[in-house]
Amino acid sequence: MSEPIIICRDVHKWFGNFHAVRGIDMQVEKGEVVVIFGPSGSGKSTFIRTINRLEEHQRGQIIVDGIELTHDVRNIAAIRSEIGMVFQQFNLFPHLSVLSNVTMAPIWVRKWPKQKAEEVAMEILTRVGIPEQAEKYPGQLSGGQQQRVAIARALAMQPKIMLFDEPTSALDPEMIKEVLDVMTELARSGMTMLVVTHEMGFARAVANRMYFFDEGLVVESGTPDDIFKNPQEDRTKLFLSQILSH
Amino acid sequence: MSAEIKAHPGMEKPPTTSVGVLGWLHQNLFSSLLNSVLTLISAGILYLLGRGLVKWALTEARWGVITSNIKVLAWGRYPNEEAWRLGISLLIILAMGLLTWALRRGSLTQNARRALLTVWVLSPVAIVILIHGITLPTIATITNNLGYYIYRPELMPLLGEAWRASAALLVLAFVAGLTCGSVSKRTERLLSLAPLLALFLFTLPLGLLANGSLFGFDLPRLLPQTFALLVGFFSGMTVGRALTSIAAIRWLRIGSWVAVLPGLLILLTTFDVGVESVAPVEVLQIIEPNIWSGMMLTILLAVVSIVASFPIGVLLALGRRSSLPVVKGFSVLFIEVVRGVPLITILFMAQVMLPLFLPLELTVDRVIRAMVGMTLFTAAYLAEIVRGGLQAVRNEQVEAARALGLSEMLVTGLIVLPQALRAVIPPIMGQFVSIFKDTTLVTIVGLLDLLAVGQSVIKQREFLGAVREVYLFAGVFYFVISYAMSVASRRLERQLGVTEES
Repeated sequence: MSEPIIICRDVHKWFGNFHAVRGIDMQVEKGEVVVIFGPSGSGKSTFIRTINRLEEHQRGQIIVDGIELTHDVRNIAAIRSEIGMVFQQFNLFPHLSVLSNVTMAPIWVRKWPKQKAEEVAMEILTRVGIPEQAEKYPGQLSGGQQQRVAIARALAMQPKIMLFDEPTSALDPEMIKEVLDVMTELARSGMTMLVVTHEMGFARAVANRMYFFDEGLVVESGTPDDIFKNPQEDRTKLFLSQILSH
Repeated sequence: MSAEIKAHPGMEKPPTTSVGVLGWLHQNLFSSLLNSVLTLISAGILYLLGRGLVKWALTEARWGVITSNIKVLAWGRYPNEEAWRLGISLLIILAMGLLTWALRRGSLTQNARRALLTVWVLSPVAIVILIHGITLPTIATITNNLGYYIYRPELMPLLGEAWRASAALLVLAFVAGLTCGSVSKRTERLLSLAPLLALFLFTLPLGLLANGSLFGFDLPRLLPQTFALLVGFFSGMTVGRALTSIAAIRWLRIGSWVAVLPGLLILLTTFDVGVESVAPVEVLQIIEPNIWSGMMLTILLAVVSIVASFPIGVLLALGRRSSLPVVKGFSVLFIEVVRGVPLITILFMAQVMLPLFLPLELTVDRVIRAMVGMTLFTAAYLAEIVRGGLQAVRNEQVEAARALGLSEMLVTGLIVLPQALRAVIPPIMGQFVSIFKDTTLVTIVGLLDLLAVGQSVIKQREFLGAVREVYLFAGVFYFVISYAMSVASRRLERQLGVTEES
C-alpha cells in the first residue's frame, strides 16, 4: 500500500442552491477498503458518485488512477470502465438475462469475443455463488441474488476500483449476509473498495479506514478501532450509539 | 421483486376447478334473477338486429358482384398475367409473419437469429423488386454511365480504340506491382493481384478475337496485352521495393489505388451514353406504381408506411431528446408541424408540393408521393409514442450503463431503446392499425385503393345497386387485417413479457 489510486482535494457539489458536498479531502491507496457512513442527506452518496462522474463536482480536484476528471468526454468513458459501481437498487437491466447483464460491457466496451466474455462471466457468477441463475432474468431473482449479479456485472469489467453505494439498504435482513459475504471475499482478494454503508459489522471486519460524513463534510475519520472505541466528536458518538443500539 | 419459489416435495398442487358449458352459462349469464332477465333481453335485441342481416346475406345479397370481380378488387389494373408476383409477395409476408409468430424468445441460436433478422430486413426489398419489376444493368451500361458523370464525353473521340485494353492492363499492373513490392503480408499481395487477374480475364476476349498488326505482321492482340501486363507489374514492383522504406509509402499505395479506378474508366469505356446497345436488360417486366390498385395498393401503402415510418419515428424521438439544439429544433418542428395538420392535407401537399423539394429531372410517381406523405405522418405520431417510452425508462438504468463505461450511443442502443420500445408496443401497434385504416383516404387524391375500386365495381351495369355487398366485403377485409394486427401485438407483448422491474 503505497501509491494513492484515488485523490480528492476540496471536492464541492451543489444541487441548485443546496450545497450537498462541502469540501471533501480523501486519498485511497491501492487495495484499501474505505467505509463511508453517516446520516441520510450527509452527501456520502453524492460524493461517491463524483468519483465515476455520475455527478460532476463543481470545485476541487478528483484524480483517479492518475487521470484527473474533467469535462473531456472520452476520458470519462475510459475511466468509468476501470471503476465498478454497485447501486442501492441493483439497477440490473431487466430486458437482458443475467448472463447478458454480465457480458454486455466486456463485449461492447472491452471488445472481447462473446465466448471469452461468457467464460469470464460464468467464473465470476460462480465466485458470487449463483452460476445456476445465468439464464434467468433479473425479475425472477431475489433481491440478494440480484445484488450479487450487480456485483458480478461490475467485476466482469475487471475494474481497479469498486464503489458500493449502500449495497444492502434495499435488502431483506436475511439476504444482507449473502451480499456482505461476497463483498468481504472481494475485499480480502485485494480489491480497492469505497463502500457507503451502515453495516458496522462489515466495517469493523474489513475496513482499513472509515469516514463519518455529516452535512457534506467529513466529521471524523480513522481506523475502525479509532472510530468504534475512541470517537473524538460528539456527533460521531451520537450517530454510532443510534445505529449500534438497535 | 419476486422471490424465487421452489417446489418442495411436500407442497400440494392447487385444486383444479373444471366448469362445463352449463356451469359457465350459470356463472356468467344466469347467476341471479336480474342477470337472467338482462341476458334474455340482450339475446332478444341481438336476434331482432341480426335477423335482417343474416336473412339478407343468405338470400337476397348478390354475391356475384364480389366473386366475378375478385381480381379487380384484389389487384385492380395490375396485369393479370403478372399477378403471380403479388402472390409470391403475399406468401413472403405470410411466411415471415408465421415464422416470427412461431418463434419464442431464446429458442434460436445466435446464428439462426441473425439469419432470420437478415431475411426480415431484406424481404421488403425483395417484395418491392417483385412487384415493381427490375432491370439489370450490364457492365457496359455501368462503366458508360459512371464515366459520363465523371468525364466530359466530348473528349473521348480523341482517343484511339486499339490500345485501350493494353494501356488499362499496364496501369493496373503497375499499381498491383507497386503494392506487391512494398507490403509484406501475403494476404495483401493476393488481394492486390485479384483485380489485375479480373481485368485480364475481362479483356481476354478482346485480345483473342481481334487481330492487330505489329511491324506489319498480323498478331493476336493478346500479345501486347500480356506484354503490357508483365512490363507494368515488374516495373511497379521495382519502384515499390525501392520505396518501401519511405514513410509515405502507405499513402502512395492508397492514393494510387484510388487513382487507378477513374483511370480504368477512361481507358475502358466507350462513352456512348444513351445508345440503345447499352440499354439495361429487363429481367422482370416493370409495372409502374401508377397502375397499382385494389387491395394490393391498400396493403402496400400500409406496409410501406409502417416499415419506413418506424425507424424515422425512433430517430425523431431520440432527436427530440438530443442536447444538440439544431437536431432537437428540427425534430420538434417536424413533429409539431406534421401532427398539427390533418392526414388529408398532408396527402394533398405530398401530391402538390413534393416535386418542389426534388430536382427537376426526378419525377416521383403519385403512389410513391402518397407513401411518402403517410410515412412522414405516421413517423411524427410514432415519435411521440416512442418519446413516452423513453421517458418511462428509469434514469438509474442510464446511470448503471454509464457506470460500466458504455458510451452514450451504446447506452441508448443497448439499454434505453430496447426497454422503451417494449413499453410502448401497444400504442405503436395501435398507430399501425390506424394508419392501415387511414389508407382509405388516398381515394381523395385519386389513387385506386380497395374502396375506390369497389366504388367503380358498383357502377358496372349488371351489378347496379349492389352497394351493400361491396361495402360489407371491404369492411370485413379491413376488420380481419386490423384484428390480426392487434392479436399479433398482444402476442408480441407476451413474448417480450419478461420485463418485470427489479
